[in-house]
Amino acid sequence: MAWITKQSATEQIERREEPYLTDEMKRAINEDYRPRYETTMACLLPALHLVQHAYGWIPRQAMLEIAEILDVKPADVFDTATFYEEYWLHPKGKVVVSVCRSIACEFCGQREITQACKEKLGIDVGETTEDDKFTLIELECLGSCGTAPAALVGETLHENLTPARMLEILDEVSKEIDAGKHEHH
Amino acid sequence: MPKKTYSDSLERHWLLKNIPTPPFGKISDRRIVSYDDYVKNKGYESLRKAISMTPADVINEVKTSMLRGRGGAGFPTGLKWTFLPPVKDAEGNDVKDDEYAGREAPVTERYLAINADESEPGTFKDRLLMDFDPHLVLEGIAICCYACKLSKAYIFIRGEYHHQANVLENALKEAYAKGIFGPKGLVNSDSNTGGPRFQVDCYVHRGAGAYICGEETGLLEALEGKRGWPRIKPPFPALKGLFGKPTIINNVETLAHLPDIITHGSSFFMEQGVESAIGGPPSYGTKLMGVSGHVERPGVFECELGIPLRELVEKHCGGIRGGKRFKGAIAGGVSMGILGTDQYDAEMDFDIGRKYNVLGLGTACPTVFDEDTDMVAVARNISRFFKHESCGQCTPCREGSGWLYQLLTRIESGDARTKDLDMALEVATSMGSMPGTTICGLADGNNWAVRTIMNKFPDEFEARVRPTYVPVKMSVGAGAR
Ligand SMILES: Cc1cc2nc3c(=O)[nH]c(=O)nc-3n(C[C@H](O)[C@H](O)[C@H](O)COP(=O)(O)O)c2cc1C
Ligand code: SF4
Ligand code: FES
Repeated sequence: MAWITKQSATEQIERREEPYLTDEMKRAINEDYRPRYETTMACLLPALHLVQHAYGWIPRQAMLEIAEILDVKPADVFDTATFYEEYWLHPKGKVVVSVCRSIACEFCGQREITQACKEKLGIDVGETTEDDKFTLIELECLGSCGTAPAALVGETLHENLTPARMLEILDEVSKEIDAGKHEHH
Repeated sequence: MPKKTYSDSLERHWLLKNIPTPPFGKISDRRIVSYDDYVKNKGYESLRKAISMTPADVINEVKTSMLRGRGGAGFPTGLKWTFLPPVKDAEGNDVKDDEYAGREAPVTERYLAINADESEPGTFKDRLLMDFDPHLVLEGIAICCYACKLSKAYIFIRGEYHHQANVLENALKEAYAKGIFGPKGLVNSDSNTGGPRFQVDCYVHRGAGAYICGEETGLLEALEGKRGWPRIKPPFPALKGLFGKPTIINNVETLAHLPDIITHGSSFFMEQGVESAIGGPPSYGTKLMGVSGHVERPGVFECELGIPLRELVEKHCGGIRGGKRFKGAIAGGVSMGILGTDQYDAEMDFDIGRKYNVLGLGTACPTVFDEDTDMVAVARNISRFFKHESCGQCTPCREGSGWLYQLLTRIESGDARTKDLDMALEVATSMGSMPGTTICGLADGNNWAVRTIMNKFPDEFEARVRPTYVPVKMSVGAGAR
């Protein structure tokens, strides 16, 4: 996870006019998070979470904006953002389906769950569907080993899964997406 | 009186007093315990008792109880607390306990980091406390902060625990409003003096998906906004931790034990659990044990330390699934290694490492395998986890974990040679902080997991490999002499 090579300094950053950090996010960073910590750098994880939550990924421009508001080096923001798996460095589907592949889940039927997702969505692990609805990934232990197999769909945890139940969930979430839920900006 | 050997004498649950769990409650009755419900069941009385004692007395009580850390290493909690340097005032003089109580804000910042990262595969015990009884955890935090004179507490919770983070945030709001934390905190405005006392703040800090942030110094780095690279020790966090200040790091379950220890005294705690059978430090108290894998009714149970694995599985979990036979069990999180088929009776206490050739008790969350399980696949799964989660700082861990995963994948697929088994063992044995080649214990986990599985189930590995082909020395062509 730690070894994402940096582009050279000549990397072109895609920019848009409207800043990614909204006024509300700036307020949260300045007023909610900053007083909590001794350094501004410590606000980095919370700030990245805000962006990740709002846009579903963390654009380079947003990292620059965070560096500015926290008065830290852009390279430091990049360093941290690339280390943690929860931060997406490129756009993904509206909903991420994360199937646990660790010890209890694999030996209680995880492979069939992943297989069901693959067939239903027509994609492999690590890919996004063409309609941008779903991204399928496998994660390590989700802390639901007693109710294995488990998967996170978006931010909702589903436990005691069967392939049939997994397909139902995908259908339900797909409808929710059509109805405008799970929209990022 | 402390017990020499295990006998089931638990008449009620302690950690799970508000979370219905068999045999003393029904899982379907579980609800999130609000502040009001918590207080109705004598909640926060222990904190009130604690702040009527001096901080040193609170620490002594915890020290006497021999409470050992529930996060994996089993380090005595009270002892860890005494490593903190004395509190200094603005002029640099030590602040004595009796002066300390009346003081306004602390003079030097000192921190508590609560380890709620729970990412060890097979472990799901802290989650239960945070799911349903957040105030028990908060009360433990408040007691610890009072005893150790800590000014701020950060609950470092893994990113995937969205729901639990919300439950904690809500509970914190209640606790702030009801005078537990913050400038108007209970710890702060004592009813006798009415004046401001020492103020404790508590925040939830979400991680972002990295197992290594469960390692205590990796956690501190993550809190500081950096990549979660464990630090070289010493200096130990008690002297130089978060932001370079004295810091205590404790597991969620460890802190949740504090209220009962303060309310009922250390002797109550020592009546549960067992003395060491091999002359080591004792294993007192109850422990959350989360059983997963091939059992009829997996789940988290509160048991006294020392319960044999067989009893845990047969009595609490309804036995092995489908009436099958026991083959092995991960001792307590994959880092600890495996208990073999003949170790079904292993006692779940802190002696388990020395008695049964595993790394230790770990999180006491065994993953159980039935007779049909492919142990080569188990080893491959675990080695993939460590390859994925190595932070990459130390070469033996970064490279070794990749090698092990490749070797085990090859063995599983049937393409490997006998010499690959030797190489896997050699790579595994050489990595870790105990062989002294790495900074943190992640590599030790990898080492023990792979090595114990290969050593306790050698037949399965040998059956998968073909004999090593020894090439005959040839002298032909350009290289001929
Ligand atoms: C690689 C690694 C991962 C760890 N993960 C956790 C964890 O997720 N939760 C935890 O409480 N302790 C974890 N620990 C143990 C902590 O380093 C530390 O010992 C513990 O939090 C101390 O708290 P305690 O004394 O209350 O047990 C981990 C240790 C290592 C080496
Ligand atoms: S042992 Fe592994 S995880 Fe621990 S610091 Fe070294 S490289 Fe990182
Ligand atoms: S192993 Fe899948 S949730 Fe723990």
